[in-house]
Amino acid sequence: MIDTGPSSQLGISPEGPMLQTPPETTGRFIIVFAEDTDPASVLAEAGLTEVVSSRELEGEEGAVASTDTVFEELGIAVVSAEPGQLGALESTFEGPPRVLSVSPELVHHVRGSDYVRGYADGVNDLAGRLGVTSGPPSGGANGTAGFGVQFFRDSTDFTWGIQATRAQLSSFSGQGISVAVLDTGFDSTHPDFAGRTVTSKSFIPNESPEDGHGHGTHCIGTACGPKAPGQGPRYGVAHGAAIFAGKVLSNGGSGSDGAILAGIDWAITQGCQVISMSLGANVPRVHPPYTAAGRRALDKGSLIVAAAGNNAVRTDLNFGFVGPPANSPYIVAVGALNQQLDVAFFSARTLADTNGGQVDVAGPGYQVYSSWPMPTRYASISGTSMATPHVSGLAALWAEATGYRGGALWSVLMQNGRRLLAPSLDVGSGLVLAP
Amino acid sequence: MNGEGGYHPAMDWTRVIVSVDDEHVDAIDEVADRLRERGMQVDQVLASVGIVTGSVQDVAALDAVPGVMSVDREEVIDIGPPDGEIQ
Repeated sequence: MIDTGPSSQLGISPEGPMLQTPPETTGRFIIVFAEDTDPASVLAEAGLTEVVSSRELEGEEGAVASTDTVFEELGIAVVSAEPGQLGALESTFEGPPRVLSVSPELVHHVRGSDYVRGYADGVNDLAGRLGVTSGPPSGGANGTAGFGVQFFRDSTDFTWGIQATRAQLSSFSGQGISVAVLDTGFDSTHPDFAGRTVTSKSFIPNESPEDGHGHGTHCIGTACGPKAPGQGPRYGVAHGAAIFAGKVLSNGGSGSDGAILAGIDWAITQGCQVISMSLGANVPRVHPPYTAAGRRALDKGSLIVAAAGNNAVRTDLNFGFVGPPANSPYIVAVGALNQQLDVAFFSARTLADTNGGQVDVAGPGYQVYSSWPMPTRYASISGTSMATPHVSGLAALWAEATGYRGGALWSVLMQNGRRLLAPSLDVGSGLVLAP
Repeated sequence: MNGEGGYHPAMDWTRVIVSVDDEHVDAIDEVADRLRERGMQVDQVLASVGIVTGSVQDVAALDAVPGVMSVDREEVIDIGPPDGEIQ
C-alpha cells in the first residue's frame, strides 16, 4: 500500500477528513495536458527542453525519478521548473487551454511502523475532535455544523436528503434523461407534477397505473419531484427528468418477478437511462433472472438501482442481508442513512460469501419527506426504499452532466461518492452526491 | 409422466422465470416456442432482458431446452402495507 506519508495529519472539516499539514513534495511539478495537445511543443515554448520521452527511458529502472519525463500516452509530464516557466505554461497560448493543471510532485511512502504510529495519533485526534459522546451536534442547521458529527434537518426550502446530497447546489436537473420508477404506480392527480411528462403502465392484472398504496408516489417524488413544489420544501432530485411510472407492485404492496422483469423490459425499450426499484425479497441468495436482466440493462445503457433491504435490526446486533434484486452484481444496491449520515438501524448489510450481494452506495433513507397520493399530499417515511430514489435521481443528474450510460454511469456515481466513516459493508463507496 | 413435458392432470402448475443465454437471446422467440413444446404456458417473452415467464408442470423438462441459461421459480416481493413505518 502506498500513502502520502506520516507527515500529514488527519483533520476533520464539515466536508469530512482533510489534510491539515502540507504534504511532502519533491520540488518537481506534474503537468497535465489537455486532450489533443502536443506536450513537447508546449514544453519547448516554456523553455523546458531537457524533458525526455518515457519511451526513451523504457528499461532504465528508476530513470523517471531523476530525469524530467513526458508520458505522451497519458498526456502528463514530470519536470523541474522555475516559477516563471510554470506561469508561461499556463498562459502562453490564446484559445482553449493546453495545460489542465500544474501541481507539485508528492513524496509517497510505503506504509510502515511510522505510518501506524501516525495513524494511531490520527485516530486519537479524530476521536477527540468528534467528541465520542457525540449526541445531536451543536448549531448549524442545513448540515453546516462545525467540527464533528453533522446533523441534517429539513429546512423550509429543502429536505435533509436534498441538502446531504447537494442536489440543491447542482446546475443539472435530469433534463433529457428518462427515469423509470417501478413501484406501486403514481397518483396522476398530484398537483406537484402538473405539466410534467409522465408515462404510466401497469403490470398488475386488473389494476390501473394509479397508486393505491402511496409508496410509488413517494419514490417518484424523491427521484423526480419538482424544483419548487406548491408548498413546503423541495424534496425531489431530478426535477427535469421525464418520468416513467411502471406499476409492478399491487395496491397491497406485493408483486412477482414476472411483473418486475416485465417492468424492467418496458423501461429499457422506452429508453430509460435509470431504473429505480425500491423493492426486494428477503431471500439470502442471488436470483439468476436479475443477474441476467441487470447485465443486459447495463449493456443497453440502462442503470438499475435497487433497495438493499430493511431486514436488519441493528439495535439487536442483527445486520440482515441484501436480497434480490439488489444483490445482483449488475444492479446498484442502496443502503439507508439517517440525518447524521450513520447507517439506519434497519438497513441491510452486504451478504457474506455471495458475489454481488454487497451494498454499493448509500442515500438518505430515514424520515424522508416526499409526495403522497392526494388528498394527503405529503408524507415522511423511512427505508432503503427512500434511499434508492435519491440515488436514482442523482444518477439522472450525472447522466445529463456526463453523457455516461450503463457501466460508465455506475462508475462515475461510485467515484464521486462521499466516503463515510461507516463500514463499506453497510454503505459501499458512500453517500452519492450531485454533480 | 414422460420426459417431454406436456400436460399432466395430476400435477400442479409452477410459475417460472426462464433466463435465456447470450447466444440465443436474439432468437428468444424460437426459445419460447421450444419451451411451449416442453409444456410451458408462456405468459411473456421479454426480449430486452432475455427472459421468458410463464407456468409449467414439469419444471425439470425445461432445463434441457437449448438456449436456457436457468429456470427459477418465481418469487413474490412484498413491501408491506402503506401505513408501515419502514418501507
